[in-house]
Amino acid sequence: MKILSMRATPLGLNAGIILIGCLLLIAFFGESFAPHDPNKMDLVRRLDGMSWTYPLGTDHLGRDVLSRLMSGTLLSLGAAIMTSMTILFIALPIGLISAMIGGWVNHLLMRITDIFLAFPMIIFSLVIIGFLGASLNSAIIGVALAWWPSLARLVHTLTTDALSKDFVLASRQCGISPLKLVIRHILPQILPPLFVIMSLEMASILLVLSSLSFLGIGAQPPEAEWGAMLNEARPFFTERPGLLLAPGLLISLAVMGFNLLGEGIRHKLDNRSPFRW
Amino acid sequence: MRNFILKRMATAIPTLLGMSMLGFFMVALTPGDPVEMELRRLGVIFTPDQVAALRQEYGLDQPIFKRYIDWLIRLFHLDMGQSIASGRSVLEEFKTHLPLTLTLASLSLALSILLSALFGITAALTRSQTLGNFVQFFSIFLVSIPSFWLALLLLFIFALSLEWISLLGSGAWYDLILPVFALSLGSAATMGRLMRDRILTVMSEDYIRLAIVKGLSPSLILRRHITKSILPPLITNWGVTFGALLGGSLIVENIFNLPGLGQMALQAVFERDFAILQAYLLFMGLIFFASNFIADLLNYWLTPHFRERTNSQGGAK
Repeated sequence: MKILSMRATPLGLNAGIILIGCLLLIAFFGESFAPHDPNKMDLVRRLDGMSWTYPLGTDHLGRDVLSRLMSGTLLSLGAAIMTSMTILFIALPIGLISAMIGGWVNHLLMRITDIFLAFPMIIFSLVIIGFLGASLNSAIIGVALAWWPSLARLVHTLTTDALSKDFVLASRQCGISPLKLVIRHILPQILPPLFVIMSLEMASILLVLSSLSFLGIGAQPPEAEWGAMLNEARPFFTERPGLLLAPGLLISLAVMGFNLLGEGIRHKLDNRSPFRW
Repeated sequence: MRNFILKRMATAIPTLLGMSMLGFFMVALTPGDPVEMELRRLGVIFTPDQVAALRQEYGLDQPIFKRYIDWLIRLFHLDMGQSIASGRSVLEEFKTHLPLTLTLASLSLALSILLSALFGITAALTRSQTLGNFVQFFSIFLVSIPSFWLALLLLFIFALSLEWISLLGSGAWYDLILPVFALSLGSAATMGRLMRDRILTVMSEDYIRLAIVKGLSPSLILRRHITKSILPPLITNWGVTFGALLGGSLIVENIFNLPGLGQMALQAVFERDFAILQAYLLFMGLIFFASNFIADLLNYWLTPHFRERTNSQGGAK
């Protein structure tokens, strides 16, 4: 039962690393190794089944599904990475500032995060997209705006924790400049746990972005984003349900990869093993 | 109890005000003049004078803060404007679409709780390592599957292969079975893992060890001791999950073609129907707020421990 105990052993971490590694390889080299041009249409061979020339068949415009999946990996993962970078870009300074300055600044910033957190995330993203107009960029902005508050709160907690360490207090007493304090003492403490959380968050971000594309308000056709591919294949659900299989499977694998990676690292960092009856 | 409710309400006022400001300014600060946009949409030829007159008529020339107050007053009278697309009032649109979404989310929450209890308790209590690992693996698997793909798989199995249901739906109550399952499985897995972790943490506490040593039966320990101490965080989680389910209903409604609030909002995104979007955001925020509030209330009512804590801290966060 070794495979099944994935989460409990480093095997889960390894599986996550392998999954993400494979996906990154496909993302960087997929486009050059794709058997066909991902956007080349061949209306004679539309909705073909599996064959040697088209390993996963063709879609409703006669485009090779495998090539589209391979070239779409960069777009799908890239969008998720862009989103998480945007989130960090907003959340890190806000969390740091509110924890370090404290007082009314802290109070105000935390109140603002409260307000954003009062809305269900995907609904907030949808409304932002509604105002910006449907596109992948709007989806990235929408998700980032809905997501930063929880991360900012996390950064705030981690920073408060880091600030209470004796050596931080000592260097403050010595009159270290705030910028130096952050770079030399705070960031090294908060970045490792933040990285673990971001890996887990990447899984959810990937899910939300592909959901939005699937609803038709994220990536727009002909972009080969996985969720958008699923959306394009929907009208042909009864004709060729197989078209919906591969992109969905790929999304699930990517999400699972990030989940396993995050859980695995967390497990490694956290030595306390749960009590077993 | 009444004190608690009042206190909780009072601490919520800034958040609620902030929510309304966010909703208002999101529309007010959208680039483009609403009057000009509307006139262009209607294809009317207009002069700058006419635009200025219309702006005055709609009160758009007033300072933005005054407009916010006016808007807030209208909101209290449930006047949320009109949908550009359908011409009906936003309130009417909500009345038609709300029941379905609420039913969907509530049923899904109920099913999630049921399934998560099943998952969590088996995973935590079973002495069989294999079963425990299997449940753990299964939960990470379910968390990773996108709900829209799960819904499509369910449709494929039950509508295309087995032909038990029609793809188009029949308008009867059993149309909701598949959507509810598609919506619940993911959150059931997350909640199940949370429940398992909580149970395992509680079980390492001394008083549970004492109960085991005393020779109480596992089912009695579970019912009398463990349930009591794991329930509060779980209830809080249920309140949060309800919000996630409201959001998730967006996707499920779309796939199963159910005319709920999610479908209405999605349509509004394509038609750039700002009045609907604004109301949708505020309304969902309000329901989410209410569900968290109810969770707090339940906790307060269930546990004296929670009661003391909130009293000493002056309001729950």
